[in-house]
Amino acid sequence: MNWIDWQAFALTLKLAAVTTAILLACAVPLAAWLVLSRSRLRPVVEALTGLPLILPPTVLGFYLLVLLGPRTGIGRAIAQVLGHPLAFSFAGLVVGSVLYSLPFAVQPLVAGFSAVDTALLDAARLLGAGPVRLVRTLLIPLAGRSLLTAAILSFLHTMGEFGVVLMLGGDIPGSTRTLSIVLYNQVESFDYAASNRTALVLLLLCLAALALVYARPRVLEGRSEGRNG
Amino acid sequence: MRTSTFDTTRRNAARPARLALLGLILVGSVAINAQTPLRIAAAADLQPVLPALLDQFQQQTGIHAEATYQASAALTAQILNGAPFDIFLSADLGYPKRLIDSGVADTAGVVAANGFSDSSTPVTYAKGTLVLWTRKDSHWPTPSLETLRDPALQRLAIANPDRAPYGKAAMAALTTLKLADALKPKLVTAENISQTAQFAETGNADAGLISLTSAMTPHLTSIGSYFIIPKDLYPPIEQGAVLIMRSTQRQNAHKFLDFLLSAPVQRQLARSGLTPVRWPQ
Repeated sequence: MNWIDWQAFALTLKLAAVTTAILLACAVPLAAWLVLSRSRLRPVVEALTGLPLILPPTVLGFYLLVLLGPRTGIGRAIAQVLGHPLAFSFAGLVVGSVLYSLPFAVQPLVAGFSAVDTALLDAARLLGAGPVRLVRTLLIPLAGRSLLTAAILSFLHTMGEFGVVLMLGGDIPGSTRTLSIVLYNQVESFDYAASNRTALVLLLLCLAALALVYARPRVLEGRSEGRNG
Repeated sequence: MRTSTFDTTRRNAARPARLALLGLILVGSVAINAQTPLRIAAAADLQPVLPALLDQFQQQTGIHAEATYQASAALTAQILNGAPFDIFLSADLGYPKRLIDSGVADTAGVVAANGFSDSSTPVTYAKGTLVLWTRKDSHWPTPSLETLRDPALQRLAIANPDRAPYGKAAMAALTTLKLADALKPKLVTAENISQTAQFAETGNADAGLISLTSAMTPHLTSIGSYFIIPKDLYPPIEQGAVLIMRSTQRQNAHKFLDFLLSAPVQRQLARSGLTPVRWPQ
């Protein structure tokens, strides 16, 4: 017998890694836009990106299953591209996770980018820097810490995702059976010894990663004091 | 007193809020004083059947009952951990038996269909039937065992065989048909038998091995068709009931089981996709 379900363990890490990579790629421009833009749409977009924080995962699961299911136009288009419907596939879980963890990537970045001195941004603008350059040469270097926070939080939140996976996953070993589903299965099958091990692994992983988030700032501050002065 | 300080400083603002709060407390206490409903933990295959029966039960006895639907194993785990249910209607005999063996449930005083009363055996109240269900707009508008052998079948939904009795029956049937290995990569496992139906209903799975109770609902009969899996392919899905010993509504729980085993209700079960255990037609 395996000590824990290593296949699910690997799958969970893979899902979290893929989701985090996609999220960072989308969240950096999105957060930069939220910070730099003076558009009237900004509050609406910010509300939309924050929505998954409070939205029941079942709402998301429902939409993904039905709205993006093979009975709708969008769903059929997706099935054409992927070769299979979104549900019950790794790709489906990635889509669900990206949506579900979006605020965990965007919000730390928005906070980090907002903390960058506006005088610097104004000076750069006066010197002719466009938004891409602002992000690349000012926001990212000065808010590197929030990038790390965003990455770790998205990773952890995806790892711990349950409701969406339960509704959308279909519990397929190696493609949609994540550790949180394994744990649920073990608890429901009265296998408390195995549940204990799975839960412990999840707990320790989350604790270690969160400790990283909280330990990091002080280290950085020590090294680059007076940066925001 | 803290309240009076509160009153003098923010009297005007506080008054409507306090009135509202008082109202809430009043409404709340009335609700609490009203009789606590009889709480039934019910296997998910009963979801299409039980609500109408609970209404009828309330009309006949005045007892209000509420049901929670999940996979039998999920409910068993909850009851073992102290969930406040009065009755457990499982989709098999194994899980309720486990509760009896753990000392949290019994069937004392319940007369079984065969007239036999034994407090350490779950009371069988019905038998379940497994069907293969497909949408009418799928490749298999009239499903059969051949559907399961069709290579075009990409995804077959079943209930979790480790937790849901219908899932166990589905795996048993696939094993008897020697299709278990071939279909393994195509299986999508749902939490319980209701979710299995939902996977197939939404078209996310091509077909589903679901309960006849789900397949016979007006919605599923209008958009799909079912094929009854021959009964010799899987062990019978005997559905057992137990009373939870912690219950404070023992008498009402008894009344409900009597109701469930009564002739009219048993006949009704037959019309909803369950095989009655008593007074068969």
